[in-house]
Amino acid sequence: MNGLTGEGAMVRVNGLSLWYGGGEHRVQALDRISFTIPRGGTCAVIGPSGSGKSTLLYVFSGLLEEYSGEVLVDGEKVPRGRRKTALILQDHGLLPWKKVWDNAALGLAIRRVPPAIKRERIASILKEMGLWEMRNRYPSQLSGGQRQRIGIARALALEPDLLLMDEPFSSLDALTRETMQQLLLNIWLKDRITIVLVTHSIEEAIFLGQRIIVLSERPGRVVEVVDNPRAGRMDYRKTGEFYRMATRVRELLEH
Amino acid sequence: MTRHIGIINNKITKTLLSVLALLLFWQALSALLQLPALPGPVPSFKAFFLEMTGSLGFHFYVSAYRVLISLAISLVLAVPLGMVLGREEKIDQFVAPMIYLLYPIPKVVFLPVLLALLGLKDLPKVALITLVVFFQILVTTRDAAKNINRDLINSVVSLGAGRRDIYRHVVWPAAVPEVLTSLRIASGTAIAVLFISETVASQEGLGYYLLDAWSRMSYENMFAGIIAMGILGFVIYIILDIMEKRACPWK
Repeated sequence: MNGLTGEGAMVRVNGLSLWYGGGEHRVQALDRISFTIPRGGTCAVIGPSGSGKSTLLYVFSGLLEEYSGEVLVDGEKVPRGRRKTALILQDHGLLPWKKVWDNAALGLAIRRVPPAIKRERIASILKEMGLWEMRNRYPSQLSGGQRQRIGIARALALEPDLLLMDEPFSSLDALTRETMQQLLLNIWLKDRITIVLVTHSIEEAIFLGQRIIVLSERPGRVVEVVDNPRAGRMDYRKTGEFYRMATRVRELLEH
Repeated sequence: MTRHIGIINNKITKTLLSVLALLLFWQALSALLQLPALPGPVPSFKAFFLEMTGSLGFHFYVSAYRVLISLAISLVLAVPLGMVLGREEKIDQFVAPMIYLLYPIPKVVFLPVLLALLGLKDLPKVALITLVVFFQILVTTRDAAKNINRDLINSVVSLGAGRRDIYRHVVWPAAVPEVLTSLRIASGTAIAVLFISETVASQEGLGYYLLDAWSRMSYENMFAGIIAMGILGFVIYIILDIMEKRACPWK
C-alpha cells in the first residue's frame, strides 16, 4: 500500500514543508520534499547554504515538530527522542565541563542505563575509537579529530539504527577528514546503521552517500535524487566513475 | 608536584611584593601629609594587633558573619531563579522589566524601611547586603543561562534529555563559573554596603567600630578597623578565587 519505493525504508519523507518564525518574519525553509532512505543504506544531503539541509536532520531527530507533510522513521511518525536515533551536530555538541568519558556516556546516563552496562559499553567504544587513553581529559585539551571521535562514540553508545550527522567533518583538516570518513565507513560496514549525512562537500557526498539528495536554494526543494551505488567502497575515490559522478552533482548544484 | 608548589610560591611572592608596595605608598603619603587623621602603617598595625585580641576581634567576627551569610543567601535565591529566567522565555518576559526597574536603584535607600521592619540587629544588615548582591548574581546567572549555545542544548535533547536533565547537565555547569566570578566581584560591593548598614543605628560590626573610633578621634584605631575591613574582603576574594578554580577544572 505504501508503494514499492517505501518498502523497507528507514526514512520516508513525503511532501515535507517547513516554515521558520511567524507573521511577517515567516520564512519557508523546506518546500514539498520527498525521498526515501533504504534501511542500512547511506544517504548524503547536499545543497547550498540556506537550503535547509540541517533542518531536515532536526525533523528526523524529532527536534522540530511543526511541519506539514509526512515523515516516517522506521515506519512511524517521528517521536521526540526516539531511542534508536542518534544525532551529531556540527560542533559535535560536547559539553566542555565533562571529561571524555562522561561526554561519551551522557546519552546512556540520561537514559538511566544501569551503571554496569554503561561502564562496559563506554569502555569498549572508547577503546575502539582510540580514545581510551584520553578518557580523563576535557574536550578543550583534545584535537578537532579527537573531539569528533567523542561525538561519534557518544552516538554509537546509544546503539542506534539511524545516525544523523550535520557536516561532521567540515571543521577538520584534509587528512583528518579522510581518516574520519574512513572510520565512519568502517562503522557502517560493521553495523549497517542507516546513515544520513548533511554536507556541502561534493567529494564527501559521493564517497559516502549511496543516495545523494541534491537540494536547491531556499526554500529547499529536491533538485534530484542521485543513486550512487558504489559509495562506501574504499577504492571508489580513485575510479573514473567517481569523477563522472562528481561532475554530475556539480552540474545539479549549479543548475 | 614541585612545579606546582613553585607556581604557588611564585604567586605568594608576587602578592607579598604587591602588599609591600601598597604599605610603602601609605607610609610615604602619611609622612608627606603629616595629618593626625592619616597615621602611618606602623602605628596602625600596632593598634590592629592590639585591638584584634580585644573588641576589634569581636566586631570583625560579627561583620564576617553578616557578609558570608548574605552572600550564601543571595546565592541560594538568585542562582535557581536566574537559571529559570534564562531558559524559560515566557517567565523572563514577565519578570525582566521588574528586574531592570529595581536593579539600578541604590538598595541603601531601603535601609530605613528594613530597620523599621526587621529591627536593629543582624537581620536588616543581612537583608540589605543580600538585596544588593542578589540582583548582581541574578542578572549574571540569567545571562549565562540565556547565552548557552542552542546546538549544545539540541544535542543533549537529541540524546533523550528532558527539562531536568538540561538543567543538570548543561545549564547549571554553564552558569557556575559566571556565578562565581560575579560573586567575587559582588563581595567587594557587599563589604561597602555592610559598612553603611553598620554605621546606622548599630552597636556591632566593623562599620560601628570605625565610626566610633573616628568620633573619639582615635585615628590609629580607625585605621586598625580599615585594615580589618581590607583583610575581610581580601580573604573572601581569595576563597572565591580558589572555589572558582576548583569548580571549573575544564577551563
